[in-house]
Amino acid sequence: MDAKDILGLPKHALPVQEKKSKPPKESQRKPDGISREVYALTGGMVPLMPTIDVNQLKRKSQNDKITWQWLPFTSSARKDDLQLYHWLSNLFDANAMQSVDVIKYTDEEYEKYLSDTAWTKEETDQLFDMCEQFDLRFIVIADRFPSTRTVEELKHRYYSVSRTILIARAPSPSDVAGHPLVKDPYNETQEKERKRSLALVLSHTKQQERRDVEVLAEAKRISVARKTIKAPKESELPVISDVPVGIDVDTFTADTVSPSANSQITSSIVTNSVCETASVMASLRMLHVYLRTYALEQMVQAASSSAGLRTIKRLEQTLQDLGFQHKEAEGSSYRDGSYSETPGTPTKRPLRAADLDRTFTPDSLTFGGERFGKRDQKRKGHGRSSEAPSSPAQSKRPRKF
Amino acid sequence: MYGGDEVSAIVVDLGSHTCKAGYAGEDAPKAVFPSVVGSIDQMEVDDPDNSDKNSVSADSKPKGKHKFYVGSQDLGFRRDHMEVLSPIKDGIVVDWDMVESIWDHALRKCLLIDPKEHPMLLAESCSNTQHHREKAAEIMFEKYQVPALFLAKNAVLTSFASGRATSLVVDSGGGSTTVAPVHDGYVIQKAVSTSPIGGELLTDCLLKSLEQKGIAIKPRYAFKRKEIRPGEFQTVDLDFPNTTESYKLYSQRVIASDIKECVCRAPDTPYDETSYSNIPMTPYELPDGQTIEIGADRFKIPDVLFNPSLVQTIPGMESSLETASTIRGLPQMVIDSINKCDVDIRRELYSSILLAGGTSSMQQLKERLEKDLLEESPQSARVKVLASGNATERRFRYEEHGASYIQRKCP
Repeated sequence: MDAKDILGLPKHALPVQEKKSKPPKESQRKPDGISREVYALTGGMVPLMPTIDVNQLKRKSQNDKITWQWLPFTSSARKDDLQLYHWLSNLFDANAMQSVDVIKYTDEEYEKYLSDTAWTKEETDQLFDMCEQFDLRFIVIADRFPSTRTVEELKHRYYSVSRTILIARAPSPSDVAGHPLVKDPYNETQEKERKRSLALVLSHTKQQERRDVEVLAEAKRISVARKTIKAPKESELPVISDVPVGIDVDTFTADTVSPSANSQITSSIVTNSVCETASVMASLRMLHVYLRTYALEQMVQAASSSAGLRTIKRLEQTLQDLGFQHKEAEGSSYRDGSYSETPGTPTKRPLRAADLDRTFTPDSLTFGGERFGKRDQKRKGHGRSSEAPSSPAQSKRPRKF
Repeated sequence: MYGGDEVSAIVVDLGSHTCKAGYAGEDAPKAVFPSVVGSIDQMEVDDPDNSDKNSVSADSKPKGKHKFYVGSQDLGFRRDHMEVLSPIKDGIVVDWDMVESIWDHALRKCLLIDPKEHPMLLAESCSNTQHHREKAAEIMFEKYQVPALFLAKNAVLTSFASGRATSLVVDSGGGSTTVAPVHDGYVIQKAVSTSPIGGELLTDCLLKSLEQKGIAIKPRYAFKRKEIRPGEFQTVDLDFPNTTESYKLYSQRVIASDIKECVCRAPDTPYDETSYSNIPMTPYELPDGQTIEIGADRFKIPDVLFNPSLVQTIPGMESSLETASTIRGLPQMVIDSINKCDVDIRRELYSSILLAGGTSSMQQLKERLEKDLLEESPQSARVKVLASGNATERRFRYEEHGASYIQRKCP
């Protein structure tokens, strides 16, 4: 009573009743087969692996009585009749020693089918003896063969001889056509080539790999530096198609970077993306991404070339293609341009967008121009595919890369 | 599978430093003793033991002129004019009488068995010649009348003991270090490489290094300790003029190898004088009560395995390795050995490198070897070095595979 006072426990019996209800529930949940204590060890959770059924274990040990006998034995793999003794129980049965069937040819067969300029009969005989002794472990045979023959040479000789004998002995060719020796003959040159390339792969030590990686990184840095030098020279190019570029710039701005300061950078980035290499184009095409800037490039080219009626029409068509997007983008860009007037969307979202955009900024700036442009084009593609009429601003939702 | 343990076979491994013998299938050998014999030339000494020539004691073998004393107990007792000799030079047996006496000691004295009842498994070095194998078989069958005999290569036994049929075995024993690739249970002879650097060389290096620092290791027989006051001891030197030099050296080596085993460890980076000059010293108490401090030698000595040219920096040891420049360090031996093998098995060899032998139980050796190999090995190969816990048990854990190979001819 005093103890309860000290501990501050309530004196009525409610909690005790609660406790009583719990244990019966616990024991109901315990699975059969393992004791309650063992189950509690797992923290009362079901184990990932199925537990061994205890009944099975009990069954095994209660089998018929195990007896042991000191018995002689011989091995089927031995050619002599050496008899050794050992204890045998009635549980296990003897395992057979496997050996490979090596073909044995007669002298007449050799003369008829198997004579070869590179191989004497003695060598071939010795090869076959060793094949039998070592169970076709060619690496070991090559190691112990008296004359220096490569593993491929030995294999070639063995398999071609076996194949020839097999075909010669068969009553008709179709009988052995399914035999693996006949179906897939040993290809010496292929094996040699494979081994050579494997040796090449294995000869690259870790130090060499590190040097290779360094060299590649250096090369990449140089190529990126070259691109950034090229880009400002070409910033004068898209003069005519200012408007669409402007839109793009705005949308890019809204999407990725905080509105105020970085329009300059984005314009340079856009122009960078305009002068992208063909390889990136190809890869993007593979991604089935619609490249607005590619179309832009077309437009630029069309515009800068001598303007004919046809080209003007083409220009207008591409403009129209973009026009749908363009107006939408225009509208939404105005909205996002001034964050304070975002209607219908909770004030949280643009702020979040801004935050996310800001965190993305350092990343986007450190990447080379082409990478950035690529990423943006990808997102533009996504934006286009998700043409949700509900709110165009949705496409400006910060996307996870 | 008929296991060697089912037929109660005996395994005997006569190494250059220690002889191990025991029952097949057990974790560790029952008999482990130095594979050197104390030999007293009968003709020189008027030995009261002469009358015991026909005694039943199995360890001393009066054979013509020599009487052999085998086993650490007998060797530990100092006798006048007893020379300590080894039957094995460069890994190969040179004196068969001594070998017989060693086998006698192992089988009859230590294991207490009758060889007629047990098939025998002898472990031999990878470079053993046909002549030696025939001689061993002759002694076993004619003298001991064993029912069955098998001569297995050390490397293959080590490989099977770890449960692998293909592996690269690095056997760093007392007398030498051997790197042998085993493929599917057979040693690839052409890729085996040996080096004369072994535990005994390291012990000698340590001995010379301590001598140079003015620390003289007194063999155990050369002093006795008297208790002058309770708890305090005084060392009194004893003089035995008839003790042979070889025995003195043997006793000193026993102490030095104990120091080496306790104190030495493989350095994480290659040893150089400057970086290890300020290393804290470790104390070690010698049997005569003297306490010595060992500093840089702790790391310098084991690094000889990796950098053999260090031997020449130890005064007194310059002449022991004749062609020290051509001897390669351990990682280089491993890589050379693997590169001599067929391309297809190289990856597998890299990922199962086994350490065997007494010296390989040195602390941090496995880690250092792995690190050095990772530097030089191919990018695509995964390097894994494995070592078993106990030094002497490694070869004895062969179970199922063993006797099935007993049934075939020795390859």
